[in-house]
Amino acid sequence: MATVSLKNIKKVYGNGLVAIHDLNLDIADGELIVLVGPSGCGKSTSLRMVAGLETISEGELSIDGVRVNDREPAQRDIAMVFQNYALYPHMTVAGNMGYGLKNQGMAKAEIRQKVEAAARMLEIEPLLSRKPGQLSGGQRQRVAMGRAIVRNPKVFLFDEPLSNLDAKLRVQMRIEIKRLQQEFGTTAIYVTHDQVEAMTLADRLVVMNDGRVEQVGPPLALYERPATRFVASFLGSPGMNFLSVTHDQGRLYLPDGRSLALPEPIEVAPGQALTLGVRPEHLEICAEADADLVLEVEIVEPLGADTLVYGRLPGHDDLMVVKHQGKHGEARGDRVPLRLDRERLHLFDADTRRRLPDGVPDGARPPNPGV
Amino acid sequence: MVEKRPGLTLLRHLVLIAGILVIGLPIWVALVATTHPSSAFLTDLMPLWFGDQGLGNFTRVLTNEERVLGVEVSASWMLWNSFVMAMVIAVGKIVISMLSAFAIVYFRFPLRRTCFWLIFVTLMLPVEVRILPTYDVVASLGMLNSYAGLTLPLIASATATFLFRQFFLSIPDSLAEAARIDGAGPMKFFRDILLPLSINNIAALFVILFIYGWNQYLWPLLVTTDEDYYTIVMVIKRLMTAGEGNVPWNVIMTTTVLAMLPPVLVVMVMQKFFVRGLVEQEK
Repeated sequence: MATVSLKNIKKVYGNGLVAIHDLNLDIADGELIVLVGPSGCGKSTSLRMVAGLETISEGELSIDGVRVNDREPAQRDIAMVFQNYALYPHMTVAGNMGYGLKNQGMAKAEIRQKVEAAARMLEIEPLLSRKPGQLSGGQRQRVAMGRAIVRNPKVFLFDEPLSNLDAKLRVQMRIEIKRLQQEFGTTAIYVTHDQVEAMTLADRLVVMNDGRVEQVGPPLALYERPATRFVASFLGSPGMNFLSVTHDQGRLYLPDGRSLALPEPIEVAPGQALTLGVRPEHLEICAEADADLVLEVEIVEPLGADTLVYGRLPGHDDLMVVKHQGKHGEARGDRVPLRLDRERLHLFDADTRRRLPDGVPDGARPPNPGV
Repeated sequence: MVEKRPGLTLLRHLVLIAGILVIGLPIWVALVATTHPSSAFLTDLMPLWFGDQGLGNFTRVLTNEERVLGVEVSASWMLWNSFVMAMVIAVGKIVISMLSAFAIVYFRFPLRRTCFWLIFVTLMLPVEVRILPTYDVVASLGMLNSYAGLTLPLIASATATFLFRQFFLSIPDSLAEAARIDGAGPMKFFRDILLPLSINNIAALFVILFIYGWNQYLWPLLVTTDEDYYTIVMVIKRLMTAGEGNVPWNVIMTTTVLAMLPPVLVVMVMQKFFVRGLVEQEK
């Protein structure tokens, strides 16, 4: 039970490399925050600074209102689950889970009781006397979770804990983690590069890129109103399509020369370079007469429930993707007329790559925002 | 290679048998020689089958009856000296090199790399190369004719440090980090995590180092003048020259067999760990 606050946190390495620029984040009690971004974006470094495994170059980190910058990891009352689990190979499962408690000087009987309680919760009781080498990946993952749980910490830290599991187990453990975190009501910070994991787990999502925070907010708000082109492309699968467009008198001019009227007026200088973003699920196959775009199909990926159609606008290089339900029987070389969902277009400044201001304060707008 | 051709199988066996003979014959001769009186070696023909003096030869050598060894101390005492020397060298080397590898891998201190390379270059300076200055140091520290003088200069070891360094580097960093979060300080991490994980490596090294220590010849020869500190390996050579034409082969071979036994025992007892330590990496 704790709040975590990061104020102007900065990480500079000895060689002058700045890994984190000015990170600010206030985490509420019991909240599950997910740090997400491509590799090298600084998400793991941030987590490790909270854990105390990396020093903080500048700024202030507090847990429950107490500054902990200079405390050893063990004194911060946190527990961490590592990507490779980091279980002690020579200790039994029970030994692994109880090691931290033993170092705190807790009595043996009490340790056993706590370890058994945690094992029961995670359904790993029969494994307690085994060594990590005799466990499957999923079981090791549970033991690593158990090691975090028995300590009953103020904050859980997860460093890509599911990336070594196969797809099916990953989904299962994802739900498990969410369930446990809600059950305990413990504040948690979770690092991942997997946007599906991020979207499903997070109370609030922190999208990072290149050592900077791009946007913070609830997953759906970020999906519906990405503040930057980076966030727009990172969230959602497959990623958002981008088209270079120009704007003149309430109309957008697409690269193939066609134009469409905007539902709401925007205030930009005429002729300014803009980027139009539209998610694959917001492109609709339509009759030739209603089309905004015509896509020349290159690859079709039938996924069962959905079909992904990849193609290019004639004469343009950028690959676009359309996601539509069911099977439509497109094939390579077909020309597919598409209509953009007017209510779900995203416009970005082509230079700053930021979302164009539309007069609506962040978070105050109902779902389905237009431009 | 799994080939089933009878000709090849025969050839393979012939080569193996030849190898065994080459290695086994001298040992056979030595064993046979321990069972004959010294007069049996005066003829040109070497006895190839056991005699009846085995028990007597061993008792005389172990107790140094009638001064058969040409020195005042008995073979059992020299075996003890050798054992002490080999043990101290093996244990000392392991302790020192584990601690230095621990420091080099897990701590960030100024000149860390320099320290590592300094240790590493001593690989090029074995005792034989630096024997005069080392002798001078040992002599001026007053350690001639002492167990300390016999063992200390041989303890510092680059090979073992390097081996432990490589092993520690193969242990994932996250293990040390997990231990840190679990509240284990550096020495606790060393004792609770690193030491148990290194147990196979320690065993393998112990075998190698025990034999290395046991087989030392030149250094003990140099630093001991007091017979109380003679080692069993040293005295074999003395026996060869002591006899003036009449070489007491039975005594020499008995002493040699005695000198061979402890290393053989160590290898046999530790073989399982030895192979595991060199081959397996615990995950």
